[in-house]
Amino acid sequence: MTGHMIAEKELIEAVGNLEADALRRWIDLGWVLPHADGDQARFDASDVARVRLICELHYELRVEEDSLPVVLSLLDQLYAARCRLRALLSAVEAQPEDVRASIAARVKAQG
Amino acid sequence: MADPYEVLGVGREATQEEIRKAYRRLAKTTHPDLHPGDKGAEARFKDIAAAYDILGDEKKRARFDSGEIDASGAERQPPGREFYRQHAEAGPGFKYERRWQASGPDSGDDLFAQMFGRRGASVRARGSDLAYTMSVGFTEAANGAKKRVTMADGKTLDLTIPAGLQDGQTLRLRGQGEPGFEGGEPGDALVEVHVEPHPLFRRDGNNIRSILPVTPGEALAGAKVRVATVSGPVELAVPKGSNTGRILRLRGKGVPSPQGKGDHLVELQVVLPEHADEELVRSLTAWEAKHPYDPRKRQGAQA
Repeated sequence: MTGHMIAEKELIEAVGNLEADALRRWIDLGWVLPHADGDQARFDASDVARVRLICELHYELRVEEDSLPVVLSLLDQLYAARCRLRALLSAVEAQPEDVRASIAARVKAQG
Repeated sequence: MADPYEVLGVGREATQEEIRKAYRRLAKTTHPDLHPGDKGAEARFKDIAAAYDILGDEKKRARFDSGEIDASGAERQPPGREFYRQHAEAGPGFKYERRWQASGPDSGDDLFAQMFGRRGASVRARGSDLAYTMSVGFTEAANGAKKRVTMADGKTLDLTIPAGLQDGQTLRLRGQGEPGFEGGEPGDALVEVHVEPHPLFRRDGNNIRSILPVTPGEALAGAKVRVATVSGPVELAVPKGSNTGRILRLRGKGVPSPQGKGDHLVELQVVLPEHADEELVRSLTAWEAKHPYDPRKRQGAQA
């Protein structure tokens, strides 16, 4: 993802309620994957949104750090599956009417 | 802006802990990033977060209770907040998607691998099969033949009917179906072949059966008779004293198969002349009077 990237300090300000130690631990654990710019970590918009999600899961919804990898893994798989499903749906939409109808009928029949 | 107490479903006298618990419970069920398919989740979550922003902070809650600030008090969520799901669903190649995928050809996407071949990301796909039906003559099916068929799109195909083809058998013409997508292989043409019935012959596995009419004289005295087979006429020696129902085997005159060629089984049928004259009737009755026999004795007592 390209676009505007921010430094650790700006990220902590933007998210609020976040300590630098926790953020660095999450980066070490591979939960957040910032871009490396020299020895400076740079965060893009998806990193900011992910950090905010991890904060909410951990500090507000009280998901323990031990459980977070499970939750994140399931979420990542869910989003990956949704992306694939979306690609599949757009491929189906590009098909002629009769093909779409028979796919729809088949999907319906499978419940 | 709705009343924050109503949004969180707590009473005005609720403790801070009760408010926190109510918020946590609601946030778990509405957080948009945990419910990517739910379009309304984002709006509901924002309301819940805004309500908690006031009630979760004792000072703000007191100011709200005394009427100093209204329910829109301070929206903690920046108005243009981007949720994680907007990024995660942006498209293929998202960096956190790759985190849980692929080390080795079989990892990850088994469902899509099944559909598109090994690589889920590729849209390469085999073309569909096309189904046709046609019919061939009985002897063509027995001996094999070359047939030219015209497909739905006007294309002609040379079809090899294998010797010994069964009625209803499907022949697969590799690559003659619909073209593939994005360099995928074309589908196959599947031709279901029906074998037309024959006036004389009947298939019995790899054997051919037919009925051979003979005169009483041929049956009694024996004879050489011409018999039609699927591979042309042959001479058949009818042994002396052959009765109706006797089966004579013409070895190797049946249908070829991997187990070897079948046989042609000829069933004899003694046929009286169409007009039996007085002479024949008299001589036969006289003969039977002198040499009585019971052709029905094997059947036991007839009803």
